[in-house]
Amino acid sequence: MKKIIIFVIMLIFSAPRLYAAVGCDLNDPDRDVKRLFPGSTGFKTIYVSIDRKGGQPMLQRIEKRLGDSFHGLYETIDVPYTLYEIYRGKEKIGYIHGVNQKGQYGGIQVFLSLDLKGVIRSLYFQKLTNREAALLRSPAFGIQFTGLTLGSFNGYDVKTGTATQGPVAAIRNPAAGAEQDFRATLRAVKKNLILMDEFVFGSR
Amino acid sequence: MIRIWQIAYKNLLRKKVRSILTITGIAMSAWVLVSLLGFNKGYENALNRDIDSMGYQVLVAAKGCPYEAATLMLKGGTGLRYMDESIARDIQRYSEVKVITPMVMQAVFDPNKGESGGISAYLGVDPKTFPGMKGYFQFQQGKWFTDPNAAEAVMGYEAAELEQREVGDKILIPEKNVELAVVGVLKRTGTQDDGTIFVPFRTVQRVFGVAGKLTAIGVQVDKNARIADVEQKMYDLPDVQVVSLAQVKQTIISLVATARVMVFSIAVIAVLIAMVGVVNTILMSVFERFQEIGILKSMGALPGDVFRLIWIETFILCLLGGIAGNALALGLVRVTDILIRRLLPYSPTGSLVMIDLPLASIAMAAIIGVGLLSGLYPAWKAARIRPIESIRSQEA
Repeated sequence: MKKIIIFVIMLIFSAPRLYAAVGCDLNDPDRDVKRLFPGSTGFKTIYVSIDRKGGQPMLQRIEKRLGDSFHGLYETIDVPYTLYEIYRGKEKIGYIHGVNQKGQYGGIQVFLSLDLKGVIRSLYFQKLTNREAALLRSPAFGIQFTGLTLGSFNGYDVKTGTATQGPVAAIRNPAAGAEQDFRATLRAVKKNLILMDEFVFGSR
Repeated sequence: MIRIWQIAYKNLLRKKVRSILTITGIAMSAWVLVSLLGFNKGYENALNRDIDSMGYQVLVAAKGCPYEAATLMLKGGTGLRYMDESIARDIQRYSEVKVITPMVMQAVFDPNKGESGGISAYLGVDPKTFPGMKGYFQFQQGKWFTDPNAAEAVMGYEAAELEQREVGDKILIPEKNVELAVVGVLKRTGTQDDGTIFVPFRTVQRVFGVAGKLTAIGVQVDKNARIADVEQKMYDLPDVQVVSLAQVKQTIISLVATARVMVFSIAVIAVLIAMVGVVNTILMSVFERFQEIGILKSMGALPGDVFRLIWIETFILCLLGGIAGNALALGLVRVTDILIRRLLPYSPTGSLVMIDLPLASIAMAAIIGVGLLSGLYPAWKAARIRPIESIRSQEA
Protein backbone atom coordinates (compact mmCIF):
# COMPACT_ATOMS: atom_id res chain seq x y z
CA MET A 1 0.00 0.00 0.00
CA LYS A 2 2.85 2.35 0.88
CA LYS A 3 4.36 1.78 -2.56
CA ILE A 4 1.09 2.72 -4.24
CA ILE A 5 0.85 5.94 -2.22
CA ILE A 6 4.47 6.85 -3.06
CA PHE A 7 3.82 6.16 -6.74
CA VAL A 8 0.72 8.38 -6.78
CA ILE A 9 2.58 11.20 -4.98
CA MET A 10 5.46 10.96 -7.47
CA LEU A 11 3.01 11.03 -10.35
CA ILE A 12 1.34 14.14 -8.96
CA PHE A 13 4.51 16.08 -8.28
CA SER A 14 6.22 15.10 -11.51
CA ALA A 15 3.48 16.79 -13.56
CA PRO A 16 5.08 19.38 -15.85
CA ARG A 17 5.13 22.96 -14.62
CA LEU A 18 3.63 25.48 -16.98
CA TYR A 19 6.17 28.20 -16.37
CA ALA A 20 9.46 26.33 -16.37
CA ALA A 21 12.68 27.90 -17.64
CA VAL A 22 13.05 27.75 -21.41
CA GLY A 23 15.40 25.21 -22.95
CA CYS A 24 16.85 24.77 -26.43
CA ASP A 25 15.43 21.94 -28.56
CA LEU A 26 15.81 21.14 -32.22
CA ASN A 27 12.70 22.29 -34.09
CA ASP A 28 12.51 19.10 -36.12
CA PRO A 29 14.80 16.50 -34.50
CA ASP A 30 14.13 13.75 -37.09
CA ARG A 31 15.17 16.00 -39.94
CA ASP A 32 17.94 17.93 -38.14
CA VAL A 33 19.69 14.88 -36.67
CA LYS A 34 19.93 13.23 -40.11
CA ARG A 35 21.35 16.43 -41.57
CA LEU A 36 23.89 16.99 -38.78
CA PHE A 37 24.84 13.32 -38.52
CA PRO A 38 24.54 11.74 -41.98
CA GLY A 39 24.42 7.98 -41.66
CA SER A 40 22.80 8.01 -38.22
CA THR A 41 19.82 5.70 -37.76
CA GLY A 42 18.34 7.00 -34.52
CA PHE A 43 18.72 9.20 -31.49
CA LYS A 44 17.83 9.34 -27.85
CA THR A 45 16.74 12.58 -26.18
CA ILE A 46 18.00 13.29 -22.67
CA TYR A 47 17.10 16.29 -20.52
CA VAL A 48 19.68 17.58 -18.05
CA SER A 49 19.95 20.71 -15.96
CA ILE A 50 22.71 22.20 -13.84
CA ASP A 51 20.25 22.25 -10.95
CA ARG A 52 19.71 18.48 -11.03
CA LYS A 53 23.21 17.49 -12.10
CA GLY A 54 25.34 19.45 -9.68
CA GLY A 55 23.48 22.45 -8.33
CA GLN A 56 25.09 25.71 -7.29
CA PRO A 57 28.68 24.34 -7.07
CA MET A 58 28.43 23.15 -10.68
CA LEU A 59 27.04 26.51 -11.81
CA GLN A 60 29.94 28.34 -10.14
CA ARG A 61 32.42 25.94 -11.75
CA ILE A 62 30.87 26.46 -15.20
CA GLU A 63 30.94 30.25 -14.79
CA LYS A 64 34.59 30.08 -13.75
CA ARG A 65 35.52 27.94 -16.74
CA LEU A 66 33.55 30.23 -19.06
CA GLY A 67 35.13 33.33 -17.55
CA ASP A 68 31.77 35.06 -17.32
CA SER A 69 28.72 34.84 -15.11
CA PHE A 70 25.37 33.46 -16.28
CA HIS A 71 22.66 36.06 -16.69
CA GLY A 72 19.25 36.51 -18.24
CA LEU A 73 16.33 34.16 -18.63
CA TYR A 74 18.23 31.55 -20.63
CA GLU A 75 21.10 31.10 -18.20
CA THR A 76 19.39 30.19 -14.98
CA ILE A 77 20.37 27.16 -12.94
CA ASP A 78 17.16 25.29 -13.85
CA VAL A 79 17.31 25.65 -17.65
CA PRO A 80 16.60 22.20 -19.10
CA TYR A 81 19.30 21.38 -21.66
CA THR A 82 18.32 18.91 -24.36
CA LEU A 83 21.02 16.44 -25.23
CA TYR A 84 20.62 14.22 -28.29
CA GLU A 85 22.60 10.97 -28.24
CA ILE A 86 23.09 9.83 -31.81
CA TYR A 87 23.15 6.17 -32.86
CA ARG A 88 24.02 4.12 -35.91
CA GLY A 89 22.24 0.89 -35.26
CA LYS A 90 23.00 0.13 -31.62
CA GLU A 91 26.32 1.97 -31.67
CA LYS A 92 26.48 5.46 -30.20
CA ILE A 93 28.32 7.72 -32.62
CA GLY A 94 28.02 11.22 -31.13
CA TYR A 95 25.98 14.01 -29.60
CA ILE A 96 24.04 17.11 -30.58
CA HIS A 97 23.59 19.85 -28.02
CA GLY A 98 22.27 23.41 -28.29
CA VAL A 99 22.38 26.52 -26.14
CA ASN A 100 20.64 29.88 -26.15
CA GLN A 101 22.66 33.05 -26.28
CA LYS A 102 21.67 36.69 -26.22
CA GLY A 103 22.36 38.27 -29.62
CA GLN A 104 22.24 41.77 -31.06
CA TYR A 105 18.63 41.62 -32.28
CA GLY A 106 17.27 38.59 -30.46
CA GLY A 107 18.04 35.19 -28.99
CA ILE A 108 20.54 33.03 -30.86
CA GLN A 109 20.35 29.23 -30.75
CA VAL A 110 23.67 27.52 -31.41
CA PHE A 111 23.81 23.73 -31.85
CA LEU A 112 26.99 21.67 -32.03
CA SER A 113 27.32 18.14 -33.29
CA LEU A 114 30.15 16.39 -31.48
CA ASP A 115 31.88 13.06 -31.77
CA LEU A 116 32.31 10.78 -28.77
CA LYS A 117 35.49 12.56 -27.69
CA GLY A 118 33.90 16.02 -27.70
CA VAL A 119 35.38 17.18 -31.02
CA ILE A 120 33.13 19.54 -33.00
CA ARG A 121 31.85 18.04 -36.25
CA SER A 122 29.60 20.92 -37.23
CA LEU A 123 27.94 24.11 -36.00
CA TYR A 124 24.30 24.95 -36.67
CA PHE A 125 22.40 28.19 -36.00
CA GLN A 126 18.78 27.31 -35.43
CA LYS A 127 17.85 30.92 -34.71
CA LEU A 128 19.79 34.05 -35.53
CA THR A 129 18.42 37.47 -36.42
CA ASN A 130 20.85 39.85 -38.05
CA ARG A 131 21.13 41.78 -41.30
CA GLU A 132 24.19 39.68 -42.10
CA ALA A 133 22.86 36.42 -40.69
CA ALA A 134 23.43 34.66 -44.03
CA LEU A 135 27.18 35.19 -43.74
CA LEU A 136 27.29 33.71 -40.25
CA ARG A 137 25.13 30.80 -41.37
CA SER A 138 27.33 30.11 -44.39
CA PRO A 139 29.27 26.81 -44.52
CA ALA A 140 32.49 28.82 -44.86
CA PHE A 141 31.99 30.26 -41.38
CA GLY A 142 30.78 27.03 -39.79
CA ILE A 143 33.70 24.96 -41.08
CA GLN A 144 36.13 27.05 -39.00
CA PHE A 145 34.75 25.27 -35.92
CA THR A 146 35.15 21.74 -37.26
CA GLY A 147 37.78 19.82 -35.33
CA LEU A 148 37.85 22.23 -32.37
CA THR A 149 37.50 21.01 -28.79
CA LEU A 150 36.96 22.67 -25.45
CA GLY A 151 40.74 22.89 -25.11
CA SER A 152 40.85 25.07 -28.23
CA PHE A 153 38.91 27.74 -26.34
CA ASN A 154 41.28 27.88 -23.38
CA GLY A 155 42.83 31.17 -24.42
CA TYR A 156 39.54 32.77 -25.47
CA ASP A 157 38.12 35.52 -23.24
CA VAL A 158 34.35 35.69 -23.74
CA LYS A 159 34.11 39.11 -22.09
CA THR A 160 36.58 40.91 -24.34
CA GLY A 161 36.08 38.61 -27.33
CA THR A 162 39.83 38.13 -27.74
CA ALA A 163 41.96 35.03 -28.16
CA THR A 164 45.66 35.34 -27.55
CA GLN A 165 46.63 32.19 -29.40
CA GLY A 166 45.39 28.85 -30.65
CA PRO A 167 42.84 27.86 -33.27
CA VAL A 168 40.10 30.16 -31.93
CA ALA A 169 42.31 33.19 -32.65
CA ALA A 170 42.26 32.09 -36.27
CA ILE A 171 38.45 32.12 -36.57
CA ARG A 172 37.50 35.01 -38.85
CA ASN A 173 34.26 36.99 -38.69
CA PRO A 174 32.78 37.02 -42.19
CA ALA A 175 30.26 39.76 -41.31
CA ALA A 176 31.84 43.05 -40.27
CA GLY A 177 28.44 44.45 -39.29
CA ALA A 178 27.66 41.52 -37.04
CA GLU A 179 30.59 41.67 -34.65
CA GLN A 180 28.29 41.46 -31.62
CA ASP A 181 26.66 38.29 -32.90
CA PHE A 182 30.06 36.85 -33.92
CA ARG A 183 31.26 37.24 -30.33
CA ALA A 184 27.97 35.89 -29.03
CA THR A 185 28.49 32.82 -31.22
CA LEU A 186 31.95 32.17 -29.79
CA ARG A 187 30.62 32.56 -26.24
CA ALA A 188 27.77 30.18 -27.05
CA VAL A 189 30.16 27.57 -28.50
CA LYS A 190 32.47 27.77 -25.48
CA LYS A 191 29.50 27.54 -23.10
CA ASN A 192 28.11 24.61 -25.07
CA LEU A 193 31.42 22.72 -24.87
CA ILE A 194 31.81 23.40 -21.14
CA LEU A 195 28.26 22.14 -20.48
CA MET A 196 28.92 19.01 -22.54
CA ASP A 197 32.12 18.44 -20.60
CA GLU A 198 30.27 18.78 -17.29
CA PHE A 199 27.26 16.70 -18.35
CA VAL A 200 28.91 14.01 -20.47
CA PHE A 201 32.66 13.92 -20.93
CA GLY A 202 33.78 14.89 -17.43
CA SER A 203 37.41 15.60 -18.41
CA ARG A 204 37.67 18.42 -15.90
CA MET B 1 -21.10 -3.08 21.48
CA ILE B 2 -20.11 -3.53 17.87
CA ARG B 3 -21.88 -1.21 15.46
CA ILE B 4 -23.32 -2.03 12.03
CA TRP B 5 -20.75 0.32 10.41
CA GLN B 6 -17.89 -1.62 11.96
CA ILE B 7 -19.35 -4.93 10.73
CA ALA B 8 -19.69 -3.54 7.22
CA TYR B 9 -16.12 -2.21 7.28
CA LYS B 10 -14.71 -5.50 8.55
CA ASN B 11 -16.67 -7.41 5.89
CA LEU B 12 -14.95 -5.37 3.21
CA LEU B 13 -11.54 -6.04 4.78
CA ARG B 14 -12.15 -9.80 4.51
CA LYS B 15 -11.60 -9.59 0.73
CA LYS B 16 -9.03 -6.82 0.58
CA VAL B 17 -7.91 -7.23 -3.02
CA ARG B 18 -11.47 -7.33 -4.32
CA SER B 19 -12.44 -4.26 -2.28
CA ILE B 20 -9.34 -2.33 -3.43
CA LEU B 21 -10.00 -3.19 -7.08
CA THR B 22 -13.62 -2.04 -6.76
CA ILE B 23 -12.53 1.18 -5.06
CA THR B 24 -9.96 1.71 -7.83
CA GLY B 25 -12.65 1.27 -10.48
CA ILE B 26 -14.89 3.80 -8.73
CA ALA B 27 -11.93 6.16 -8.24
CA MET B 28 -11.06 6.07 -11.93
CA SER B 29 -14.61 6.89 -12.98
CA ALA B 30 -14.83 9.60 -10.30
CA TRP B 31 -11.56 11.04 -11.61
CA VAL B 32 -12.95 11.20 -15.16
CA LEU B 33 -16.22 12.69 -13.92
CA VAL B 34 -14.60 15.37 -11.71
CA SER B 35 -12.06 16.29 -14.40
CA LEU B 36 -14.76 16.68 -17.01
CA LEU B 37 -17.01 18.71 -14.75
CA GLY B 38 -13.93 20.80 -13.93
CA PHE B 39 -13.23 21.24 -17.63
CA ASN B 40 -16.82 22.32 -18.20
CA LYS B 41 -16.40 25.06 -15.64
CA GLY B 42 -12.76 25.93 -16.29
CA TYR B 43 -13.08 26.26 -20.06
CA GLU B 44 -15.87 28.80 -19.84
CA ASN B 45 -14.04 30.75 -17.14
CA ALA B 46 -10.81 30.79 -19.15
CA LEU B 47 -12.68 31.92 -22.24
CA ASN B 48 -14.44 34.69 -20.32
CA ARG B 49 -11.13 35.79 -18.81
CA ASP B 50 -9.44 35.89 -22.23
CA ILE B 51 -12.26 37.90 -23.72
CA ASP B 52 -12.56 40.28 -20.76
CA SER B 53 -8.81 40.86 -20.88
CA MET B 54 -9.14 42.33 -24.34
CA GLY B 55 -10.45 45.51 -22.77
CA TYR B 56 -13.15 46.16 -25.37
CA GLN B 57 -16.56 44.66 -25.98
CA VAL B 58 -16.80 45.04 -29.74
CA LEU B 59 -14.21 44.60 -32.46
CA VAL B 60 -14.65 46.17 -35.84
CA ALA B 61 -12.59 44.55 -38.59
CA ALA B 62 -12.40 44.79 -42.37
CA LYS B 63 -15.08 42.81 -44.17
CA GLY B 64 -14.41 39.10 -44.62
CA CYS B 65 -15.15 35.86 -42.91
CA PRO B 66 -16.20 36.41 -39.29
CA TYR B 67 -13.91 33.64 -38.14
CA GLU B 68 -10.96 35.59 -39.47
CA ALA B 69 -11.82 38.34 -37.07
CA ALA B 70 -12.08 35.87 -34.22
CA THR B 71 -8.73 34.41 -35.18
CA LEU B 72 -7.21 37.86 -35.42
CA MET B 73 -8.28 38.64 -31.88
CA LEU B 74 -7.61 35.34 -30.24
CA LYS B 75 -4.67 33.90 -32.11
CA GLY B 76 -3.07 36.87 -33.86
CA GLY B 77 -3.58 35.21 -37.22
CA THR B 78 -2.47 36.33 -40.64
CA GLY B 79 -4.45 36.76 -43.87
CA LEU B 80 -5.27 40.33 -42.93
CA ARG B 81 -7.67 42.76 -44.56
CA TYR B 82 -7.64 46.51 -44.17
CA MET B 83 -10.16 49.24 -43.56
CA ASP B 84 -9.82 52.97 -43.86
CA GLU B 85 -8.81 54.92 -40.78
CA SER B 86 -11.77 57.29 -41.30
CA ILE B 87 -14.04 54.52 -39.98
CA ALA B 88 -12.41 54.92 -36.57
CA ARG B 89 -13.37 58.60 -36.57
CA ASP B 90 -16.97 57.74 -37.56
CA ILE B 91 -17.30 55.24 -34.70
CA GLN B 92 -15.81 57.69 -32.22
CA ARG B 93 -18.72 60.07 -32.96
CA TYR B 94 -21.36 57.65 -31.64
CA SER B 95 -22.69 58.86 -28.32
CA GLU B 96 -22.72 55.32 -26.87
CA VAL B 97 -19.03 54.79 -27.51
CA LYS B 98 -16.76 55.52 -24.59
CA VAL B 99 -13.41 55.03 -26.27
CA ILE B 100 -11.96 53.35 -29.33
CA THR B 101 -8.49 52.03 -30.02
CA PRO B 102 -7.17 51.58 -33.56
CA MET B 103 -4.94 48.59 -34.30
CA VAL B 104 -2.80 47.47 -37.20
CA MET B 105 -1.44 43.98 -37.17
CA GLN B 106 1.38 42.96 -39.46
CA ALA B 107 3.11 39.65 -39.86
CA VAL B 108 6.33 39.16 -41.79
CA PHE B 109 8.30 36.14 -42.79
CA ASP B 110 11.56 35.88 -40.87
CA PRO B 111 13.97 33.71 -42.86
CA ASN B 112 16.29 33.48 -39.85
CA LYS B 113 13.79 31.74 -37.60
CA GLY B 114 14.79 28.10 -37.68
CA GLU B 115 15.83 26.13 -40.73
CA SER B 116 12.84 27.07 -42.89
CA GLY B 117 12.06 30.49 -41.43
CA GLY B 118 8.99 31.55 -39.45
CA ILE B 119 6.46 34.31 -38.94
CA SER B 120 7.08 37.38 -36.74
CA ALA B 121 4.00 39.41 -35.85
CA TYR B 122 3.72 43.03 -34.68
CA LEU B 123 0.64 44.70 -33.29
CA GLY B 124 0.47 48.44 -33.92
CA VAL B 125 -1.43 50.14 -31.10
CA ASP B 126 -2.32 53.69 -30.15
CA PRO B 127 -0.25 54.78 -27.13
CA LYS B 128 -3.03 57.17 -26.06
CA THR B 129 -5.91 54.70 -25.84
CA PHE B 130 -4.57 51.14 -25.82
CA PRO B 131 -2.80 51.22 -22.40
CA GLY B 132 -6.03 52.52 -20.81
CA MET B 133 -7.95 49.51 -22.11
CA LYS B 134 -5.34 47.11 -20.80
CA GLY B 135 -5.30 48.49 -17.28
CA TYR B 136 -4.23 45.14 -15.84
CA PHE B 137 -0.91 45.18 -17.71
CA GLN B 138 2.08 45.49 -15.41
CA PHE B 139 5.60 46.16 -16.49
CA GLN B 140 8.52 43.93 -15.66
CA GLN B 141 10.82 46.62 -17.03
CA GLY B 142 10.33 50.05 -18.61
CA LYS B 143 7.01 51.57 -19.70
CA TRP B 144 4.73 52.26 -22.68
CA PHE B 145 5.95 54.30 -25.63
CA THR B 146 4.27 57.70 -25.81
CA ASP B 147 5.03 58.86 -29.34
CA PRO B 148 2.77 57.19 -31.97
CA ASN B 149 5.61 57.55 -34.51
CA ALA B 150 8.46 56.26 -32.33
CA ALA B 151 10.66 53.38 -33.49
CA GLU B 152 10.03 51.63 -30.19
CA ALA B 153 8.47 48.41 -28.98
CA VAL B 154 6.94 46.93 -25.84
CA MET B 155 7.27 43.17 -25.62
CA GLY B 156 5.02 40.66 -23.96
CA TYR B 157 6.73 38.46 -21.38
CA GLU B 158 7.11 35.38 -23.56
CA ALA B 159 8.14 37.37 -26.62
CA ALA B 160 10.90 39.01 -24.57
CA GLU B 161 11.87 35.67 -23.06
CA LEU B 162 12.13 34.03 -26.47
CA GLU B 163 14.16 36.86 -27.95
CA GLN B 164 16.13 37.49 -24.75
CA ARG B 165 15.28 41.17 -24.87
CA GLU B 166 15.49 43.73 -22.10
CA VAL B 167 14.81 47.44 -22.04
CA GLY B 168 17.47 49.17 -24.13
CA ASP B 169 17.97 46.20 -26.50
CA LYS B 170 17.09 46.36 -30.19
CA ILE B 171 14.87 44.19 -32.34
CA LEU B 172 15.05 44.00 -36.10
CA ILE B 173 11.96 43.78 -38.31
CA PRO B 174 12.94 41.24 -40.96
CA GLU B 175 12.43 42.19 -44.63
CA LYS B 176 11.98 45.86 -43.67
CA ASN B 177 15.45 46.20 -42.17
CA VAL B 178 14.09 48.49 -39.46
CA GLU B 179 15.42 48.57 -35.91
CA LEU B 180 13.12 49.13 -32.93
CA ALA B 181 14.28 49.95 -29.42
CA VAL B 182 12.69 47.91 -26.63
CA VAL B 183 11.26 50.39 -24.11
CA GLY B 184 9.18 48.02 -22.02
CA VAL B 185 8.76 44.36 -21.12
CA LEU B 186 5.40 43.31 -19.68
CA LYS B 187 4.88 40.96 -16.79
CA ARG B 188 3.22 37.66 -17.58
CA THR B 189 -0.54 38.05 -18.08
CA GLY B 190 -1.48 34.49 -18.98
CA THR B 191 -3.13 35.72 -22.19
CA GLN B 192 -2.08 35.87 -25.83
CA ASP B 193 -0.62 39.31 -25.10
CA ASP B 194 2.39 37.52 -23.56
CA GLY B 195 3.60 36.57 -27.01
CA THR B 196 2.87 39.94 -28.66
CA ILE B 197 5.27 42.68 -29.74
CA PHE B 198 3.46 46.03 -29.41
CA VAL B 199 4.62 48.88 -31.65
CA PRO B 200 3.11 52.40 -32.07
CA PHE B 201 0.49 52.07 -34.82
CA ARG B 202 1.79 55.00 -36.89
CA THR B 203 5.20 53.31 -36.95
CA VAL B 204 3.67 50.04 -38.16
CA GLN B 205 1.70 51.92 -40.84
CA ARG B 206 4.86 53.71 -42.00
CA VAL B 207 7.22 50.71 -41.92
CA PHE B 208 4.83 48.34 -43.68
CA GLY B 209 3.48 50.91 -46.15
CA VAL B 210 -0.13 50.81 -44.95
CA ALA B 211 -0.61 54.50 -44.07
CA GLY B 212 -4.23 55.34 -43.26
CA LYS B 213 -5.15 51.67 -42.95
CA LEU B 214 -6.24 49.66 -39.94
CA THR B 215 -6.87 45.97 -39.40
CA ALA B 216 -9.15 46.38 -36.40
CA ILE B 217 -10.74 48.88 -34.05
CA GLY B 218 -11.47 47.95 -30.46
CA VAL B 219 -14.61 49.65 -29.16
CA GLN B 220 -15.40 50.16 -25.50
CA VAL B 221 -19.07 50.98 -25.02
CA ASP B 222 -20.37 53.31 -22.34
CA LYS B 223 -21.63 51.51 -19.22
CA ASN B 224 -25.16 52.88 -19.60
CA ALA B 225 -25.47 52.12 -23.31
CA ARG B 226 -26.76 48.91 -24.86
CA ILE B 227 -24.04 47.10 -26.79
CA ALA B 228 -26.59 45.72 -29.25
CA ASP B 229 -27.65 49.28 -30.24
CA VAL B 230 -24.06 50.27 -30.99
CA GLU B 231 -23.52 47.10 -32.98
CA GLN B 232 -26.64 47.84 -35.00
CA LYS B 233 -25.28 51.28 -35.91
CA MET B 234 -21.93 49.84 -36.90
CA TYR B 235 -23.53 47.33 -39.25
CA ASP B 236 -24.38 50.30 -41.48
CA LEU B 237 -20.71 51.21 -41.92
CA PRO B 238 -19.32 50.23 -45.33
CA ASP B 239 -16.96 47.25 -45.77
CA VAL B 240 -16.57 46.36 -42.15
CA GLN B 241 -17.68 43.50 -40.02
CA VAL B 242 -18.70 43.91 -36.43
CA VAL B 243 -17.80 41.16 -34.03
CA SER B 244 -19.08 41.35 -30.50
CA LEU B 245 -17.00 39.39 -28.07
CA ALA B 246 -20.13 37.70 -26.72
CA GLN B 247 -20.68 36.41 -30.25
CA VAL B 248 -17.10 35.12 -30.48
CA LYS B 249 -17.52 33.38 -27.16
CA GLN B 250 -20.74 31.70 -28.26
CA THR B 251 -19.14 30.55 -31.50
CA ILE B 252 -16.22 28.95 -29.71
CA ILE B 253 -18.46 27.38 -27.07
CA SER B 254 -20.68 25.87 -29.76
CA LEU B 255 -17.58 24.52 -31.54
CA VAL B 256 -16.44 22.84 -28.37
CA ALA B 257 -19.95 21.67 -27.41
CA THR B 258 -19.86 18.60 -29.67
CA ALA B 259 -16.57 17.48 -28.17
CA ARG B 260 -18.01 18.06 -24.70
CA VAL B 261 -21.07 15.88 -25.40
CA MET B 262 -18.83 13.05 -26.56
CA VAL B 263 -16.55 13.39 -23.57
CA PHE B 264 -19.50 13.44 -21.17
CA SER B 265 -20.86 10.30 -22.79
CA ILE B 266 -17.52 8.63 -22.06
CA ALA B 267 -17.75 9.81 -18.45
CA VAL B 268 -21.26 8.38 -18.08
CA ILE B 269 -20.08 5.06 -19.54
CA ALA B 270 -17.11 5.05 -17.15
CA VAL B 271 -19.43 5.62 -14.18
CA LEU B 272 -21.81 2.87 -15.37
CA ILE B 273 -18.93 0.39 -15.76
CA ALA B 274 -17.73 1.21 -12.25
CA MET B 275 -21.22 0.69 -10.91
CA VAL B 276 -21.56 -2.70 -12.59
CA GLY B 277 -18.33 -3.52 -10.76
CA VAL B 278 -19.93 -2.44 -7.49
CA VAL B 279 -23.03 -4.62 -8.10
CA ASN B 280 -20.77 -7.55 -8.96
CA THR B 281 -18.58 -7.14 -5.87
CA ILE B 282 -21.47 -6.77 -3.43
CA LEU B 283 -23.51 -9.53 -5.02
CA MET B 284 -20.56 -11.93 -4.86
CA SER B 285 -20.05 -10.98 -1.26
CA VAL B 286 -23.73 -11.68 -0.53
CA PHE B 287 -23.59 -15.11 -2.20
CA GLU B 288 -20.40 -15.99 -0.35
CA ARG B 289 -22.02 -15.07 2.98
CA PHE B 290 -25.30 -16.85 2.27
CA GLN B 291 -25.09 -19.04 5.38
CA GLU B 292 -23.65 -16.27 7.50
CA ILE B 293 -26.55 -13.96 6.66
CA GLY B 294 -28.97 -16.82 7.40
CA ILE B 295 -27.40 -17.30 10.84
CA LEU B 296 -27.59 -13.54 11.47
CA LYS B 297 -31.29 -13.62 10.71
CA SER B 298 -31.88 -16.73 12.84
CA MET B 299 -30.25 -14.81 15.71
CA GLY B 300 -32.81 -12.07 15.35
CA ALA B 301 -31.56 -9.76 12.64
CA LEU B 302 -34.45 -8.30 10.69
CA PRO B 303 -34.49 -8.04 6.85
CA GLY B 304 -34.06 -4.24 7.32
CA ASP B 305 -30.86 -4.77 9.33
CA VAL B 306 -29.35 -7.02 6.64
CA PHE B 307 -30.41 -4.59 3.93
CA ARG B 308 -28.76 -1.74 5.83
CA LEU B 309 -25.55 -3.74 6.38
CA ILE B 310 -25.13 -4.51 2.67
CA TRP B 311 -26.07 -0.98 1.67
CA ILE B 312 -23.50 0.46 4.10
CA GLU B 313 -20.83 -1.72 2.50
CA THR B 314 -21.76 -0.24 -0.88
CA PHE B 315 -21.68 3.24 0.63
CA ILE B 316 -18.18 2.73 2.08
CA LEU B 317 -16.85 1.49 -1.26
CA CYS B 318 -18.33 4.45 -3.12
CA LEU B 319 -17.20 6.95 -0.48
CA LEU B 320 -13.59 5.74 -0.55
CA GLY B 321 -13.62 5.51 -4.36
CA GLY B 322 -15.12 8.99 -4.61
CA ILE B 323 -12.51 10.49 -2.27
CA ALA B 324 -9.65 8.79 -4.15
CA GLY B 325 -11.10 9.93 -7.50
CA ASN B 326 -11.37 13.53 -6.30
CA ALA B 327 -7.79 13.43 -4.99
CA LEU B 328 -6.58 12.04 -8.33
CA ALA B 329 -8.46 14.71 -10.26
CA LEU B 330 -7.02 17.47 -8.07
CA GLY B 331 -3.48 16.08 -8.14
CA LEU B 332 -3.42 15.48 -11.88
CA VAL B 333 -5.22 18.67 -12.87
CA ARG B 334 -2.18 19.91 -14.82
CA VAL B 335 -1.82 16.65 -16.71
CA THR B 336 -5.53 16.73 -17.60
CA ASP B 337 -5.10 20.33 -18.74
CA ILE B 338 -2.23 19.37 -21.07
CA LEU B 339 -4.15 16.39 -22.49
CA ILE B 340 -7.27 18.49 -23.18
CA ARG B 341 -5.19 21.22 -24.84
CA ARG B 342 -3.81 18.65 -27.26
CA LEU B 343 -7.31 17.56 -28.21
CA LEU B 344 -9.00 20.93 -28.66
CA PRO B 345 -8.73 23.02 -31.83
CA TYR B 346 -8.66 26.23 -29.79
CA SER B 347 -8.03 26.56 -26.09
CA PRO B 348 -7.96 29.78 -24.12
CA THR B 349 -5.04 30.69 -21.90
CA GLY B 350 -5.01 29.89 -18.18
CA SER B 351 -6.20 26.70 -16.55
CA LEU B 352 -8.84 24.79 -18.53
CA VAL B 353 -9.80 22.55 -15.63
CA MET B 354 -11.21 24.21 -12.55
CA ILE B 355 -12.00 21.97 -9.59
CA ASP B 356 -13.44 23.55 -6.47
CA LEU B 357 -15.30 22.35 -3.39
CA PRO B 358 -18.88 22.64 -4.75
CA LEU B 359 -17.88 20.75 -7.90
CA ALA B 360 -16.09 18.02 -5.96
CA SER B 361 -19.14 17.73 -3.67
CA ILE B 362 -21.52 17.39 -6.64
CA ALA B 363 -19.36 14.65 -8.18
CA MET B 364 -19.09 12.91 -4.82
CA ALA B 365 -22.87 13.04 -4.35
CA ALA B 366 -23.38 11.66 -7.87
CA ILE B 367 -20.95 8.78 -7.32
CA ILE B 368 -22.49 7.88 -3.94
CA GLY B 369 -26.04 8.29 -5.27
CA VAL B 370 -25.46 6.05 -8.28
CA GLY B 371 -23.48 3.66 -6.07
CA LEU B 372 -26.31 3.33 -3.59
CA LEU B 373 -28.73 2.66 -6.43
CA SER B 374 -26.40 -0.10 -7.61
CA GLY B 375 -26.38 -1.54 -4.09
CA LEU B 376 -30.17 -1.80 -3.94
CA TYR B 377 -30.45 -5.15 -5.70
CA PRO B 378 -27.67 -6.97 -3.74
CA ALA B 379 -29.04 -5.53 -0.48
CA TRP B 380 -32.59 -6.58 -1.35
CA LYS B 381 -31.32 -10.04 -2.32
CA ALA B 382 -29.51 -10.37 1.02
CA ALA B 383 -32.53 -9.15 2.98
CA ARG B 384 -34.70 -11.85 1.39
CA ILE B 385 -32.45 -14.76 2.41
CA ARG B 386 -34.41 -17.23 4.57
CA PRO B 387 -32.54 -18.64 7.57
CA ILE B 388 -33.86 -22.16 7.05
CA GLU B 389 -32.73 -22.25 3.41
CA SER B 390 -29.27 -21.03 4.25
CA ILE B 391 -28.84 -23.63 7.00
CA ARG B 392 -30.10 -26.38 4.67
CA SER B 393 -27.63 -25.29 1.97
CA GLN B 394 -24.85 -25.61 4.56
CA GLU B 395 -25.97 -29.18 5.42
CA ALA B 396 -26.13 -30.08 1.73
